[in-house]
Amino acid sequence: MVLRETKPAEPLAFDTDKCIGCNRCLEACQIDIMIPSEEKGSPPLVAFPDECWYCGACVMECPTGAISLQHPLMNQVRWAEKSSLTARSEA
Amino acid sequence: MYQGREWPYPSEIDQTETLTADVLVVGGGIAGCMAAIAAARRGQKVILVDKGAVKRSGAGGTGIDHWESAATNPCSRVTPEELHKAMMDDNDGYNNPISHYIECREGWDRLLDIEQMGGKIRDTEDEFKGAEFRDEETKLLFAYDYHARYTLRVWGTTFKPAMARELKRLGVRVLERVMVTSLLTKDGKHGSDCIGATGFHTRTGKFYIMRAKATIIATSRPARVWLFSAAYPGLCEFRPLQCIGDGHAMGWRIGAEFCMMEKSVRAQFSASGRSYPPYMAGNNHNTWYPATLIDATGREIPYVDRDGNILPDVRSRCYPAKGQRFFLKGGNVEEAKYEYLGPETLPWDKLKEMGYKLPFYADLTAMPEHERKAIWGLMVGQEGKTMVPVYQYLNNAGFDPTKHVIQCYGAGWTSAEFLPQERQLFGAPGGFMNDWYLMTNIPGLFAAGDALFSSNCYGHAAATGYYAGRHAARFAASRSLHDFDAHQLEQERERVYAPLLNKRGFGWKELNHAICKTMQNYCGELKEEGLLLAGAERLSHYEKDIVPYTSASNPHELMRLLEVHNILTVAQMILEACLVRKQDCPPLEFYRADSGGQAPKPFLVIRHDGEKTVCREVPLDFAGDVKENYERRNQDYIEEKEVG
Ligand SMILES: Cc1cc2nc3c(=O)[nH]c(=O)nc-3n(C[C@H](O)[C@H](O)[C@H](O)COP(=O)(O)OP(=O)(O)OC[C@H]3O[C@@H](n4cnc5c(N)ncnc54)[C@H](O)[C@@H]3O)c2cc1C
Ligand code: SF4
Ligand code: SF4
Repeated sequence: MVLRETKPAEPLAFDTDKCIGCNRCLEACQIDIMIPSEEKGSPPLVAFPDECWYCGACVMECPTGAISLQHPLMNQVRWAEKSSLTARSEA
Repeated sequence: MYQGREWPYPSEIDQTETLTADVLVVGGGIAGCMAAIAAARRGQKVILVDKGAVKRSGAGGTGIDHWESAATNPCSRVTPEELHKAMMDDNDGYNNPISHYIECREGWDRLLDIEQMGGKIRDTEDEFKGAEFRDEETKLLFAYDYHARYTLRVWGTTFKPAMARELKRLGVRVLERVMVTSLLTKDGKHGSDCIGATGFHTRTGKFYIMRAKATIIATSRPARVWLFSAAYPGLCEFRPLQCIGDGHAMGWRIGAEFCMMEKSVRAQFSASGRSYPPYMAGNNHNTWYPATLIDATGREIPYVDRDGNILPDVRSRCYPAKGQRFFLKGGNVEEAKYEYLGPETLPWDKLKEMGYKLPFYADLTAMPEHERKAIWGLMVGQEGKTMVPVYQYLNNAGFDPTKHVIQCYGAGWTSAEFLPQERQLFGAPGGFMNDWYLMTNIPGLFAAGDALFSSNCYGHAAATGYYAGRHAARFAASRSLHDFDAHQLEQERERVYAPLLNKRGFGWKELNHAICKTMQNYCGELKEEGLLLAGAERLSHYEKDIVPYTSASNPHELMRLLEVHNILTVAQMILEACLVRKQDCPPLEFYRADSGGQAPKPFLVIRHDGEKTVCREVPLDFAGDVKENYERRNQDYIEEKEVG
């Protein structure tokens, strides 16, 4: 058993196969939530995940499509197939 | 996870760099960039300082979808004067008459400027050829009122990078990751001329002294005064986390005047709390106008005109009512006065009576294709914070706007209902008082964009930024640099670094939360003298007894903490402003339990004179005849434009 920090959310997920470690994402973030990795060629570390504004600027700047932005679970909106609603009203 | 890890950047805490400029611009968002561009084009040596990185910083860094009040665009059917009058009337005169005239008059010029820099403002690929909202000749696209055509749909994701390139081309010295912490005054005296600013690097801690002949504040508006979440501080408010009113706090400390600081509204957006990410939940406002709404059974919700007549089709949602010249809709105009009221879906009470079932959904499936694509792909996509977090995110999850519908939460575009004490400086809140040059009462200190009182919107920020840049350039040309006061500087250096010396103490989150709780309790929807005074005492306790014991362990955390010190100052200003207004003032959403029932006073402009708050009354029409007063002061610009 170990102690670990429980995070309220993890805004960014990096695909390490795609990432070339250019740090463009880090430089684009106006809130500066990332710090460079100690390993060359690796994605930055998200040092201050709670400060993320979820704007997507880092993703827009990434040349290899290595980042995905993940909203906190509570902010994932619900959507539905329209035909399922009309079916409900007809039932 | 990274607890105990060494700070990755070299420490430069003991280093100082002194820079000089003719014009110093604080804040590299929309207003700041355009201010720097204007001043540089007038041959001034310009420094622009941003806490973030200019290419994508500020509220509009990742884009905008609609540009309001471009009354001089070739297709507009309203004049700047007409539109300006409507904006003033709609707020009973409690609005910034000068800045909004500049917006109406020069907004379109700035859009052309941005186009020249490489921003996309026209449908050059003919994606929307034949659409009702397109002008075939100019290829401009319009939003909301397709008859009046003063608001444009634009490709805002391209704007900020274009401005960043232009700054470089013009040789503006851009300092990024530097937080400006204070304004310097002549001889270090309270209320005297502004002669520059100080700042520090938020990665290395290096100290900056910036000497300038004119300084422009473009740091946007305060936030996190009532709303806080330690788990999701980045989501507490609508605007970027680092925009919390530093400029207001710095200005207040040197004696700058502020107007309308008593205005706050019940919160509309806080995705750490009740609402969803902006533009993600179903709604029919702003970015999503004129989306079709349906109820839980798929039944369409009718749109009505201002007289309650049900509108027959999607097209008619975008035209003024019979006998109406134009309607107001967009960023912060959700419920205009009858004269300017646009089409809207029936209110909830009425729908309930008629048997409509919750939840509702935004339904683009049956809309005309151009309208659907304008909402899903252009507006949702080009709007700030939508390209990745909404458009790509939902597309990747399988959302198809021809098949799927998105749920609405709450009524209107806010996607939530907040409590009365959960307040926010949303819409057009208070800020710096300005004259016709956008200069404050402090000589040499200008303000632009959302830092100005009663301001909002991208076009307004671009127009006022450029205007302030022009006039600051002229001011600078007639001034010389001043030596800073050594005592003022040393005091500031000490204040800035003190939290790094406190190895233990209150962190920024704890203090921010305490301020917010205090404001919710003592300065909620209904104000009262005794409560306000008690709140002020509480805040003064934080200032005297807590702030000296706050601590930070690296320059990034120091930035966050100094921001909260500024939030504390802003909260104090707000209480002072609420204390001087003794009567209800509905246009400012200001209500006092101890109001005596007299008519509301006009603008109550406040400043700190070094010891106490002083207030002066300013008539709502202080700007006089706006066209005449504008033209008298901007002949050179008007002539320049004529020459082309
Ligand atoms: C998600 C979203 C969508 C929007 N969509 C639209 C739209 O479609 N149409 C529209 O008209 N408006 C829109 N707006 C509003 C519009 O973006 C703002 O009104 C506009 O950006 C304000 O410009 P500004 O320059 O005053 O502030 P910002 O553009 O926010 O710039 C402020 C800058 O100041 C910097 N700063 C702050 N403090 C300091 C300091 N101490 N030292 C150094 N730098 C500092 C910040 O880093 C930031 O770069 C939207 C806003 C948001 C958040
Ligand atoms: S989403 Fe925005 S705030 Fe979050 S890390 Fe990326 S750039 Fe920074
Ligand atoms: S921008 Fe993309 S490739 Fe570059 S470091 Fe970030 S994730 Fe890796």
